[in-house]
Amino acid sequence: MKNQLKVLRAMRSWSQADLGEHLDVSRQAVNAIETGKYDPSLPLAFKISRLFALPIEEIFDDEFEGD
Amino acid sequence: MTNLKETNMIDRDEIAGSNGRRFMWVIVSGLGIVMAAGAVSGYLAAHEAQGGGAIGATGILTLCAFATIIIGLAFAIWRNVSKMKASNEGLTRRETLNRNMIYGFVLIGGAIGLLPAFYDTSVGNSDTGPPLLLADSPMPPVIALMLIFFWTVIMPIIAWFWHKRVIDEQEASAYRDGGYYAAYALLIGAPTWWMLWRGGFVPEPDGVAIFMLFALIWTAVWFWKKYR
Repeated sequence: MKNQLKVLRAMRSWSQADLGEHLDVSRQAVNAIETGKYDPSLPLAFKISRLFALPIEEIFDDEFEGD
Repeated sequence: MTNLKETNMIDRDEIAGSNGRRFMWVIVSGLGIVMAAGAVSGYLAAHEAQGGGAIGATGILTLCAFATIIIGLAFAIWRNVSKMKASNEGLTRRETLNRNMIYGFVLIGGAIGLLPAFYDTSVGNSDTGPPLLLADSPMPPVIALMLIFFWTVIMPIIAWFWHKRVIDEQEASAYRDGGYYAAYALLIGAPTWWMLWRGGFVPEPDGVAIFMLFALIWTAVWFWKKYR
């Protein structure tokens, strides 16, 4: 799933390890989410949303076009 | 003006990626060293068995070739570990715990591997057979009881702690995927081997080999999913 995590992280000058520490996950997990290789669980997505004070849909894009 | 710390930080993360390929090369190089060292000791043992004496030019060349391979692989390990360290600074709390537990596993594994060195393992075990832990031959009751205690009491405690407190959800997902692949390989592979044996095509199914293949598939898929 495409997402804005890398941009949001860079805006705060955080490394992947810094973000991992905030989210209580590993740097590999942050890397996997950023590169779209792993989709976070709903609880982790909410955690990310709260951390950046943004709605989930502004961070993650499921590329759904609608009917 | 771009913040230098920020640029370094992004570059470092970009270079690091998942570090999976580097990690894999470290493992492959380590196995290569073990195999090359085994080949050297096997060659020297064969030389001794044939009467010993001075090693000929061909022998020296062979040993030099293996020594070069070992040095090359050791260099590859050093280089990959250096790059991993440089690109993967600042471990999170979970990763630190994860790494420390892996060090602990290596120590425990080493201790278990050394067990046979301190006990008489000759109970029906030939010198040329597979290692004691993988053989079907009888083993000293003391070692058997110690291994059973580790496998049935210590191992579940470590596994519970590992899955509940150490790994994160991405790694848990990698473990689940590995479990699926390994379970299906077992469900399909073991009966197939059994039928092939009954049909007279292959040797009798080997429980240790099936267990090792199950563990190998699980580990390989876990690695792929975690570090891809």
